[in-house]
Amino acid sequence: MSKKKRFGISEALTRGLSETIHVVEHHSGMFRNVVLPLSRIELDPDNPRKLIIDLADIKQGIRPDDPDHQRKQEELERLKELAHTIQANGVINPVVVYKRGELYRVVAGERRCLAAILAGKQEIDARIFNEKPKEFELKLIQWTENTAREDLTLGERMGNVREIIREYQNQKGSVEINASLLKNMMGLSLSQASYYLAVLNAPEDVQFQIQNGNIRNLDKAALIAGIESPEIRKQAIAACINGSSIKGLRSIINQQRVLKKAKLVLQTSPRGRHAAKINMGATNNIEVIKKIINCVITQMQLDHHATAIFSQTNWTDFRQVTQAFRKLIEILEFKVVA
Amino acid sequence: MEIIAFVNNKGGVGKTTCSKLMAEYLSKKKKSRTLCIDFDPQCNFSHQYLHMEIDPAAPEGLMPPIHPDYNPNDEDDQNWDGRSSIAEIFYGQGVIPYPTYVESLDIAPGHAEKLLAAESVRRSEVVDKVHKQLAYFLNSSDVQAAYDAVVIDTAPSKGPLTISVIKAATHIIIPSVMEEQPVQGIYGMLQLWMQESLVREKSRPLRLIGILPNMFKQTRLHKDILKSLQDNLAIGKYVLPVKFSQRIVFAEIDAADSNPRSIFDFPEQHVAKTEAEEVCNHLAERIFA
Repeated sequence: MSKKKRFGISEALTRGLSETIHVVEHHSGMFRNVVLPLSRIELDPDNPRKLIIDLADIKQGIRPDDPDHQRKQEELERLKELAHTIQANGVINPVVVYKRGELYRVVAGERRCLAAILAGKQEIDARIFNEKPKEFELKLIQWTENTAREDLTLGERMGNVREIIREYQNQKGSVEINASLLKNMMGLSLSQASYYLAVLNAPEDVQFQIQNGNIRNLDKAALIAGIESPEIRKQAIAACINGSSIKGLRSIINQQRVLKKAKLVLQTSPRGRHAAKINMGATNNIEVIKKIINCVITQMQLDHHATAIFSQTNWTDFRQVTQAFRKLIEILEFKVVA
Repeated sequence: MEIIAFVNNKGGVGKTTCSKLMAEYLSKKKKSRTLCIDFDPQCNFSHQYLHMEIDPAAPEGLMPPIHPDYNPNDEDDQNWDGRSSIAEIFYGQGVIPYPTYVESLDIAPGHAEKLLAAESVRRSEVVDKVHKQLAYFLNSSDVQAAYDAVVIDTAPSKGPLTISVIKAATHIIIPSVMEEQPVQGIYGMLQLWMQESLVREKSRPLRLIGILPNMFKQTRLHKDILKSLQDNLAIGKYVLPVKFSQRIVFAEIDAADSNPRSIFDFPEQHVAKTEAEEVCNHLAERIFA
């Protein structure tokens, strides 16, 4: 006789049932996903993304006498592109809002809302927070939504970081912000966090250029912010505005390092073979050698016979200049010993 | 006021029988002022308490009888045809519940034609015109003041009518036969429960009281499927520890001329009555805890 048949529910159904229960037990009550009429949506004036165009401009058109007409017109054109895709495919990710009186204030998704209105939509998918998110969480949501964006200027991003830090300090007391704290606070990499920190503490001239949109790159801004000498910083800022690469900026900074090192006590490594000679070093700047030779001739009041060789040197030829320099060393060795 | 709904999109699992037993238990045993609502166009629940009439406009459907309080000579009733169903909420009309043979048990009956019409509104209008209407009605202050409990029987579907019940309910119970197809119906209802839970405000959650095994027979099929649900970590805690057995008396009591008319009027010690009390008592304790 065959074995008694056993019954049960299918694996797929079991999985479906468990997953559904899991979702309810872990996610209910935090927020709700709804379809919101666009007429009930308002923008957040404190959102760090400073779109200059607003709801009225979208609904009634930009007034021709608007002082920002030009910029708003440009923004409108960009929104129209988004509106076009919304018309075709709808809004893929729900916007994030919280209820504020009769209206819903946008936490994230300003452009999507405006573009959906442009696309002639009446409603938009939204995720409603049941309560107004705490200021810190609010800023963080806006931050995370915004960091993924390309069109945010460095100045806007820095404003965002400052607000997050301010909220953090409001909540936790005024703790000192270091790179690893910033990293944990905003989910950045450590190097990104230290760049942001450097730019936060940047001297005023750098801040000014960031606000003006002249310095747009975080890495470059952090590099320039680290330059102590005001003159060299000025040079670097100018170079950056003129489109210098990060490598170009580094070489400007290296100059600063050379000068800085000159002031320091020389430190040599005790390791390696015992040195019996002095290495004179090398340079690709002929003027340096010419200067040394001239100085020595003048200083030592060398006679004409000894220095004749220098007047015959071709000062554009590296080999000849090298020979001339060696000759000078020889003369000096002879003279100093004598 | 607690709003209890029996839901399962598989038909024939005993939603109406469970609704009836629960409503009568609450009114007879708990002395709660209870309102029955029949949200199924088939109107079986209504038929338990009222002599539903064939609708001349739609011969396949039922409509409520003339209301006992209707007086065609009364000026107040001039604009009323004397019938009132729960479907009036979709047409901006007041709902006038009918008394039943059970004291403190009223019913807002179904109306086949009107309920079906509400379900067929355009997709874009369904949210405003259907989904929210039952919740508006039940949250109105006169309904809240008049009743302690509402028991809703639903249609075997996942459509707009059932969604509007889910939106209005405070508690849902999923009766199911321990067989493959009805258990799939549980999945459909859990989906609705999930969707509603995600949009509900924290202050008024939709509580799933649980899966109620119904028409249970001591066969290998029923026992194995019940056990596989109970043994699952996630599902197990939603399988109720009580169940209704397959008993012909639960069906017999549905017949119009049965005597007594309620299972709770059976003699003490009657096995079906004891079981009904045990199950309903358990549900009530969970709901009114």
